[in-house]
Amino acid sequence: MIILSILIADFMLLGGVSIFYFRRRMQERAAMAGVTNRSQEVQQRMYQIQVLQEINERIGYTLDTSKIIEIVTGSIGYLLEYETVSFMLYSDPKNVVFKCHVHNSVNHAFIAQVKEKMNAATSTLCNQEVTLEKIDERMSGAILDDNLDVQVMSYLNVPVIIEGQLLGLINVSSSKPNLFGRSQAGVVYTITNQAAFAVSKLQEVLENEKGKLSGIIAAMTDGVFMVDLDYVLVISNPAVIDMLQLPVGKEATTFDIIDSLAGKVDLRTKIDEALAKNIPIDVPEVYLHDKVMNITLTPVRDKGGDHRGVAVILHDVTSEKSLEKLRQEFTAMMVHELRAPLTAVRWSSEGLLKSLGDAKTHLEDAKIKDSMTTIDLAATNMLELVNDLLDVAKIEAGKFDLNAQENDIVASLKEAIKTFEPQATAKHLVLNYVGPEKQLAKFDRVRISQVITNLLSNAVKYTDSGNVDLNVTMQEKEKRVVVSIKDSGIGVSREDLSVLFSKFKQLKSFDSSRKGTGLGLVVSKGIVEAHGGQIWAESAGENLGSTFFFSLPL
Amino acid sequence: MPKIVCAEDDKLIATSLVEGFTAAGFEVTAAEDGEAAVAKIKEVKPDVVLLDIMMPKLDGYGVVWELKSDPETAKIPVIMLTNLSDSDTLSKILEAGVTDYLLKSEQTIDQIIAKVNEVLARAPMAQA
Repeated sequence: MIILSILIADFMLLGGVSIFYFRRRMQERAAMAGVTNRSQEVQQRMYQIQVLQEINERIGYTLDTSKIIEIVTGSIGYLLEYETVSFMLYSDPKNVVFKCHVHNSVNHAFIAQVKEKMNAATSTLCNQEVTLEKIDERMSGAILDDNLDVQVMSYLNVPVIIEGQLLGLINVSSSKPNLFGRSQAGVVYTITNQAAFAVSKLQEVLENEKGKLSGIIAAMTDGVFMVDLDYVLVISNPAVIDMLQLPVGKEATTFDIIDSLAGKVDLRTKIDEALAKNIPIDVPEVYLHDKVMNITLTPVRDKGGDHRGVAVILHDVTSEKSLEKLRQEFTAMMVHELRAPLTAVRWSSEGLLKSLGDAKTHLEDAKIKDSMTTIDLAATNMLELVNDLLDVAKIEAGKFDLNAQENDIVASLKEAIKTFEPQATAKHLVLNYVGPEKQLAKFDRVRISQVITNLLSNAVKYTDSGNVDLNVTMQEKEKRVVVSIKDSGIGVSREDLSVLFSKFKQLKSFDSSRKGTGLGLVVSKGIVEAHGGQIWAESAGENLGSTFFFSLPL
Repeated sequence: MPKIVCAEDDKLIATSLVEGFTAAGFEVTAAEDGEAAVAKIKEVKPDVVLLDIMMPKLDGYGVVWELKSDPETAKIPVIMLTNLSDSDTLSKILEAGVTDYLLKSEQTIDQIIAKVNEVLARAPMAQA
């Protein structure tokens, strides 16, 4: 993007500059007509500075070396008198470019002499004999005429050095003797230096931008890479290596990437498809190494609209997918839990209605009581579930109203113990309370009772024998009261402890005989946290019992 | 008197089923989990099995597998009862290869009894 905008800016600038030159030439002619030599010299100096300024501006937007040198050599004509201006470009050692602009016709020998002079200068600069095998020669300007008797009588060579590297050599030659002195050489030298300086500055900026860009790409969690039209990997980030599990430390190639996806997606065909259709191609849900990723291939085009390659993004959707799965499981569970009590109500009432409608079938009172009990229990279960769901919705919406007052937490615990005593006794469980007789704290009595009921009901449900111990401790330093409910039941595995209080959970050690939505713990967490307290669980492991804690700030 | 084994862990639903089928003249044996269901089916050799899917110890699919791997029980018709009608559940039921399945919330007890009678009429078990 940055490069593109530079190129566009460059294009726009060229137009502006050519108008500027035209105006300058007109001014120059007017100036030449009637002023003195002295003022001419001043004008000449001013003009030089202005040309330099323009060169600087023009060069400021391009990094094409040959273009830069052309700009420089093109400007020299306004400052010096000469037959030819030439440059040699060494940036590609295999293909040295020699470009010569002939201002006034010369012969072939003249050109040969120019090259000779330039070679000699290069050899001196490089401190070794330079033999140029292959030269890409380009002539422009006036035609060469071998009938002319001209020789190089004056010349000057100026090296183009960018960041300590000899990039090229500029030569100005004339058939007139003693034309170029110190001041003329100085002008060309200054122009060249200015150009070189501008280029190195620009390169620095570009390097910085490139660094920033590759830094951003490297830091991306998505795998990003680009291949050119020859399937050469132009750029790739560490996430690609990681996601495709390519060998670390080895330079990956496009074919390593294609191979790593073999059997899952034919990436090469997809690359060709993206280029052929000239639209982004999406490959959703590619399963690889326990991960799920979406792959997007986007054709990359340059300013001219030509294809440069294809950018590929690997987006890891594993967590979204597993969350989606958990959500589906949660929905399935909710559907089951909601339908079950309704079915029981329906079937039981069906039996009752049938007996009422049929005079011959006389239902015994005990049978009627059974059916009514079933209906009552099912409706109660259903109501609890719906309440839990509504509470979760309230918690998630952050609209949980508390009526917090100074209350005795011990009283709430004892009340709950009384409620669960019959159930516990039936399972031969002992419910104990150990702790102070009274402990005041500010809380919503109804809501905290809901939490205690939920934790105690779980403790009784998941314990087949032994005790359930309730305790209240005051933690002066933390300024809080901690309630604990310890059972000798089935315990909780380490993995499950971390997800116990979340809505979508998949417990590793899930025993479906103790069915439940697990929403109770989600609601409890919401209630305790709304009080500014915390809720947590500890367990030594499966079948080793567990302790649930919650704290209330004092 | 036709015999059925009703495997259902939800006590409330199990109660309604047992009451309904008993009133309709069936000899009903209830099982509250998958393992109990297998044991009782092998013991009772029922004419039809009503089988819940989500059950403790062994789920409905496990029960079907156990029944199929024993020649003595392999041919007993099984009607699966489910609360879920998602495609995942349905394809698993089809894979299990049961006689039929019913979505609990869409049926009355009478309809289930009718379905059981239909299965009995279609595939009478070799029995006295």
